[in-house]
Amino acid sequence: MGRYVLKRVGIGLLQAIGITVVVFFVIRALPADPVARLVGFNSSPEVYAQAQASLGLDASVWSQFTTYVSGLVRGDLGVSWVTGSSILGELRSALPITLQLITLAFALALLVSVPVGIATAKRPGGKLDKTVFGYGLFAGAQPEFWWGLLFIFFFYYTLGIAPAPLGQYAPGVTPPPEITGMSLVDSLITGNIAAFTDAAWHLWLPVMTLAFIVSGPIIKMTRQSMSRVLGSEFILYQQASGIPANKVARSTIRASLPPVLTLAGILFGFLLGGAVLIEQVFAFNGLGSYSVRAVLNLDYPAIQGTVLIITIVSLGVYLVLDLLLAVIDPRVKN
Amino acid sequence: MTIPQSPPVKGEHPLENLADKKIKARRWYHDKLLVTGAIIVGIALFLAAFGEAIAPYDPTVPVGPPSVPPSTTYWFGTDTSGLDVFSRVISAPRIDVTLAVSAAVLSGILGTFIGLMAGFYRGVFSGFIMRVSDVLQAFPVFILAMVLVALSGRNLTNLIFALTFLYTPIFIRLTRAEVLTQRERAYVEAARAAGNSDLKIAIKHVLPNSLTPSLIQLSVTVGFGILLTAGLSFVGAGVRPPNPEWGLMIANSAPQLVLGEWWTSLFPGIAVSLTVVGFAALSNAIERRVATS
Repeated sequence: MGRYVLKRVGIGLLQAIGITVVVFFVIRALPADPVARLVGFNSSPEVYAQAQASLGLDASVWSQFTTYVSGLVRGDLGVSWVTGSSILGELRSALPITLQLITLAFALALLVSVPVGIATAKRPGGKLDKTVFGYGLFAGAQPEFWWGLLFIFFFYYTLGIAPAPLGQYAPGVTPPPEITGMSLVDSLITGNIAAFTDAAWHLWLPVMTLAFIVSGPIIKMTRQSMSRVLGSEFILYQQASGIPANKVARSTIRASLPPVLTLAGILFGFLLGGAVLIEQVFAFNGLGSYSVRAVLNLDYPAIQGTVLIITIVSLGVYLVLDLLLAVIDPRVKN
Repeated sequence: MTIPQSPPVKGEHPLENLADKKIKARRWYHDKLLVTGAIIVGIALFLAAFGEAIAPYDPTVPVGPPSVPPSTTYWFGTDTSGLDVFSRVISAPRIDVTLAVSAAVLSGILGTFIGLMAGFYRGVFSGFIMRVSDVLQAFPVFILAMVLVALSGRNLTNLIFALTFLYTPIFIRLTRAEVLTQRERAYVEAARAAGNSDLKIAIKHVLPNSLTPSLIQLSVTVGFGILLTAGLSFVGAGVRPPNPEWGLMIANSAPQLVLGEWWTSLFPGIAVSLTVVGFAALSNAIERRVATS
């Protein structure tokens, strides 16, 4: 097990380094002009040169790279060209918001879709199965930002059972001090019940929207995996040997978990980027909104920082997943 | 949103086999999924070609008072600038669909070819290609797309290139997997015994037999492309206003939605939603039919 973990961590690290290097050079190879974006296109050559020098863009790409790497080694991600504050600090407050949002959405999606997937696998061709097939086909690829808006219209404007999509807290509520950066956790730690309920009140709609979108593929995969295991010989053998149904069910579920977990991991990594649009719609200042700002402002250090963080988190998720898989299915290790 | 495709598991469940046989026995026009998909895809392609020509109004010029609810004059109403929503919704495929189809076809061709080579000639290069596409696929597509498009300039050509770049790994992976099973078949050995060169065997014999997964994937990829284009435009990193484009229309009308002006975002949203489902349904139906034949 130890060697397996080591190997996986090693590969993950190499991937992270690879992405970091590629992103650094790719964004400099593309024909964008961040200096002109900052000082305006009609600025005098002197002003332009001065801005270029202050951003460090007058140096060769190679020396920019060595500066960046020597910063990285010291845990310094640089300073944003637009806000002037440390990228690490900005990411430190943006990431938890996104993590909280997608973790909740994920938990909700798994909680609903795995049982539904199992139920459909038990009765293929049944009414539920057909409905779910339609839903899976439908929700597998949908404009989540539009659904978010639609839900806002319906639940906020029409029914009034959701808050206005203006961020994590209502304007009058004093947010708790930033400890973990997750609104629910921070307000709980500080015992601020008013902030906690308000945070939950502002979270339920975006969480539901994301869960609505990711549930489709999870149900589909659960059903596929379950029905494959149900049709396999070892289950038939268990049944033939007269093993009680609930015990058979247990081994069926265990055997059908790996593909579902793999997909879950992929979806989680995907959601890190996919939450971008939902965060925009609900005005959450998470990693998604941060990355949009970074990209549209041509803020290179911020882009590099975002990419690095997303890479690390998603590689971390894949790693945990691979380890889980190795525990469930010992054959994976070999 | 785009969801990674899992390889289909077919015919391993007895009841699934039964269902498949039933599907095979039916004529194609009784296959609801196939017909629905084909109709939607047909309409989308038709509008991509003629949408602007048959639109009642010019989609980029104000034609009436702002924010008029749907009426007999303005079927889908007008937006805050007085543009006709219906004309814009049916003109948008010119951008959305054309872009997604081009990107899907380009990445399909490129990915199939690279996948063929990576599967047929296994070696250092093949391993490198696979690692690169692993890393590319592991990274959130949306953010990569945003970076690529925003930094290379927001125009249609760059959007197509970015989408092509992002979707090629899917086709590489699919084709390579198929090639790996095909190259062990007897016909490959027979072709080799007959004195054919490796390259000729790969292109003339293995390629045609390894095309199916890519062809099935093609239609879904078009759907993903439409979704990604709309999403990029929604955050301001895609198509430029005032071009008629679905994501852009939804973005522009989002502030009004909260005030009760629903028509400006409802109709373009339905258009995206339906089109994507149509392309996915077509893929799905073809996949089921191929799996049974």
